[in-house]
Amino acid sequence: MSARAEPTGWVGRSLPRRQDPRLLTGRGRYAGDLLAHGMLHCAILRSPHAHARISRIDVSRARAMPGVVEVLTGREAKELSRPLPPTIDIGMKLNQSYAIAVDRVRYQGEPVAAVAALDPYVAEDALEAIEVEYEPLPALTSVEAALAPGAPLLYEEWGDNIELAYEMRTGDVEAALASADVVVEARVPHHRYTGAPLECRAVLAEYDQLSGELTVQASTQAPHQCRTLLAEGLGLPEQRVRVVAHDVGGGFGTKLQVDGEMIPCLLAIKTGRPVKWVESRRENLLSGVHSRDYVWDFRAGFTRDGRLTGLHARLTGDVGCDGTNRSSGVGALLVAAFYVPGAYKLPVLHVQVTGVVTNKAPYGAYRGYGKDIATYGIERLMEIAARRLHLPSDELRRRNFIQPDEYPFTTVTGPIHDSGDFPQLLSRAQELIGMEAFRRRQEEARRQGRHLGVGFSCMLEPSGAAVPNCIFNGYEPAQVRVTPEGGVILLTGLQDIGQGVETTLAQVVADELTLRPDDIKVVFGDTEAVPYGLGVWSSRGASYGVSAAVAAARRVKEKVLRAGANLLEVSPEDVELRAGAVQVKGSPERRLTLAEIGRAVYLWPGPYAVLPGEEPSLEASAYWTAPIVRWVPDQVGTLSIYTTHPTACFAAVVEVDVETGKVRLERMVVVHDCGTLINPMVVEGQISGGTVQGVAGALGEELAYDEHGNLLNLGFLDYLAPTAADLPPIEVEHLVFPSPFTALGSKGMGEGGAIGAPAAVVNAVEDALRPLGVTISEIPLTPERVLAAIEAAGGRS
Amino acid sequence: MRIEVTVNGAERQLEVEPRLLLVDLLRDRLHLTGTHLGCEDGKCGACTISLDGQPVKSCMVLAAQVDGGEIVTVEGLADGVALSPLQRAFQEHHALQCGFCTPGFLIAARGLLERNPDPTEEEVRRGLAGNLCRCTGYTNIVRAVRAAAEAMRGEATRPSPEAMGVTQP
Repeated sequence: MSARAEPTGWVGRSLPRRQDPRLLTGRGRYAGDLLAHGMLHCAILRSPHAHARISRIDVSRARAMPGVVEVLTGREAKELSRPLPPTIDIGMKLNQSYAIAVDRVRYQGEPVAAVAALDPYVAEDALEAIEVEYEPLPALTSVEAALAPGAPLLYEEWGDNIELAYEMRTGDVEAALASADVVVEARVPHHRYTGAPLECRAVLAEYDQLSGELTVQASTQAPHQCRTLLAEGLGLPEQRVRVVAHDVGGGFGTKLQVDGEMIPCLLAIKTGRPVKWVESRRENLLSGVHSRDYVWDFRAGFTRDGRLTGLHARLTGDVGCDGTNRSSGVGALLVAAFYVPGAYKLPVLHVQVTGVVTNKAPYGAYRGYGKDIATYGIERLMEIAARRLHLPSDELRRRNFIQPDEYPFTTVTGPIHDSGDFPQLLSRAQELIGMEAFRRRQEEARRQGRHLGVGFSCMLEPSGAAVPNCIFNGYEPAQVRVTPEGGVILLTGLQDIGQGVETTLAQVVADELTLRPDDIKVVFGDTEAVPYGLGVWSSRGASYGVSAAVAAARRVKEKVLRAGANLLEVSPEDVELRAGAVQVKGSPERRLTLAEIGRAVYLWPGPYAVLPGEEPSLEASAYWTAPIVRWVPDQVGTLSIYTTHPTACFAAVVEVDVETGKVRLERMVVVHDCGTLINPMVVEGQISGGTVQGVAGALGEELAYDEHGNLLNLGFLDYLAPTAADLPPIEVEHLVFPSPFTALGSKGMGEGGAIGAPAAVVNAVEDALRPLGVTISEIPLTPERVLAAIEAAGGRS
Repeated sequence: MRIEVTVNGAERQLEVEPRLLLVDLLRDRLHLTGTHLGCEDGKCGACTISLDGQPVKSCMVLAAQVDGGEIVTVEGLADGVALSPLQRAFQEHHALQCGFCTPGFLIAARGLLERNPDPTEEEVRRGLAGNLCRCTGYTNIVRAVRAAAEAMRGEATRPSPEAMGVTQP
């Protein structure tokens, strides 16, 4: 049940990835690498103002430049297109906006015009020749400013600046708080940051003006939704739009955005020539989606001995100019509301969510999608509460954990946690840290004026979302095809963005069909090859993608067995599949290989002899939906929209230099459960990478705006992504609690590191500074903020 | 203006605009798209190539500046389809996910191992601090580089550190 067993098949083995040789030799095909005959290069002029009216725009000088083929303004683009379609529509206000701003800009970096030219350098030159006059409007750069009476409205038709207002009350929280022994109040803010994949967005759009067919090769996590959104936004019939994604240079949720992607398509439609857009880092930071940027206000009731009795939680998020059309970011705030109880048994919850629009970049998905908000909030609250209750924080956690014998556990907001063991995760993390030895070392260091700390975070990673009225819906197709020579092709709606689906799905299908992974080719990323599928986000690959592949493979297997039985002239019950051959049970010498069966079904002699009365193919499709999804709310509004619940305990050890304010991460231990592991090496890679993104969010990465709405982090010189020199190795250990809700017990994973790591780091810094009485509030914990926190607590040691 | 460069062993004579960046010369003119562009300001290292034996960020160099130079890009590391020990170690240790930063890391690590054939964990981390990876958290990159160093030391019979590089075309 918990320790990892030796694998019996391909699942569970750390196979090297199929895609690696091409990526290691420079033969990857990222969208920015692609060429087409007669290709033009697109460059986008972006607003320097956060909020302004466009009073005049003159592109005549740009248009006249040699090498410039087309220039589009917002008004011209509007004639060719429709508003950006919503990606989510569940009780939030929608806005009407276009890929290129029409008459008014609402964030710094919003496109105002675009150029297509023969050469990328010329396209950039032409941007400088475009004259734009702006009438600046007051910029809203905080939730407080946006909610103030008389604040300018981003979307006048709304009547206020609130995109989302949501509330759920599962019972009488005020009564619970009134009768609690201790009520802990805490404000937990989190700054804005994002995934910043190393490959920015890139698109090659080709349009045939005769046939009306648009082919878009793009760096996207979700080719099918990208197709739907492009078709809708461009007003094209969807069957005439094809989206292809080859190698994708990272995504982390940010490549579920379809706004700038429209622009090269519009230029291709206008010119009839292929148009390539390769986003710059500056553009990506300005207009790629941002995330986080929220504050929790908690009032939590506890008994004297530390049992949670009720929670009032108010979550306020700054969703920038838009969290619905350019990406589905605002939904993350709802996910946070449903999952704020985290790893704990909470009897009653009252949660209020407000998503406020401001003049900042669009709000989108980024590794966590609200689960990060929930875990960071509750894990900071537990730490703060432990101090108020004079209890060790691990003890407080233990007194409130969902217990291992309580799974499947339905929480107060409706989600059904499939499996897990938080007490064991925490104990094992403490063991790996070596708590007693650490506390001695900490004491010793304190005597020398050094500040070491350890911090924990118990992470819940709801995976495989099924969001109604949203591009993050809940199903996945797979198709398995046996070729006439006995090879296998798997078609999946998943997309590879660095995880390794070519390898892991082949492992899964190989086991089902008793083949080797090399016998299976995995096809993905082409909307004209694979059935409508939903791509990769919400750590859904190992729940939805894997379960669909298993279901399709099992259907094919049944057909293979029937064909084999017919050929062997026995009944289907008397045969079995072993080592890629159908053999008569008990008579292994009577066998037919998959190649022999494939050949017989398709051609020699063919289906009338081999599969009489059946479709003449060894193909099967399956769609997988999660058995526990419940979209109809009960009387208090509870829902169940996530399939599985991976869990983990993160333990961070830090040293804080109280003279400089610098935090050094010394160790990061992750004891992790994602159910059945398909490829442990891939899983560990995801944990390490996700964890570092979480650490980076806690310690350095920040998208900060000044009071005029100017973004201050326009490149990696000031967006402080960590390097190898800033980090220790991430130590990972697995405990395995298979999910009862998926085909193989795998839970899906990938986001967890970014969900769990930040609270562990912040809790560790607070532990390090305990002798100084420091409470951490604002993050990231840059040296300046650490020094300010020490100062606020009354000075240095 | 006219330049002469050797790229992955092949001599090239090219007419270039004075403002053309080396990375664009490689990607757009020579179609060596294995060298990637991740930031344009010399921070991310995805565009790292080897110029006269030194790892160099090709977004920070004009094509005009490399006249007479010898360039090795990621396309020049393997021997046909046979991966170099460093490339093999990257695959074996899962040191790449999306692969976008990988060419830059391979070139930077190759340079590091030429200077220091037996680096400590700390030395690898500091030696690769000019390159960003957003996927791996660096854990496996560091492992792979150290494993490659070990493999290459085992293989190498040549004495000089300069000769400890990965397989050359």
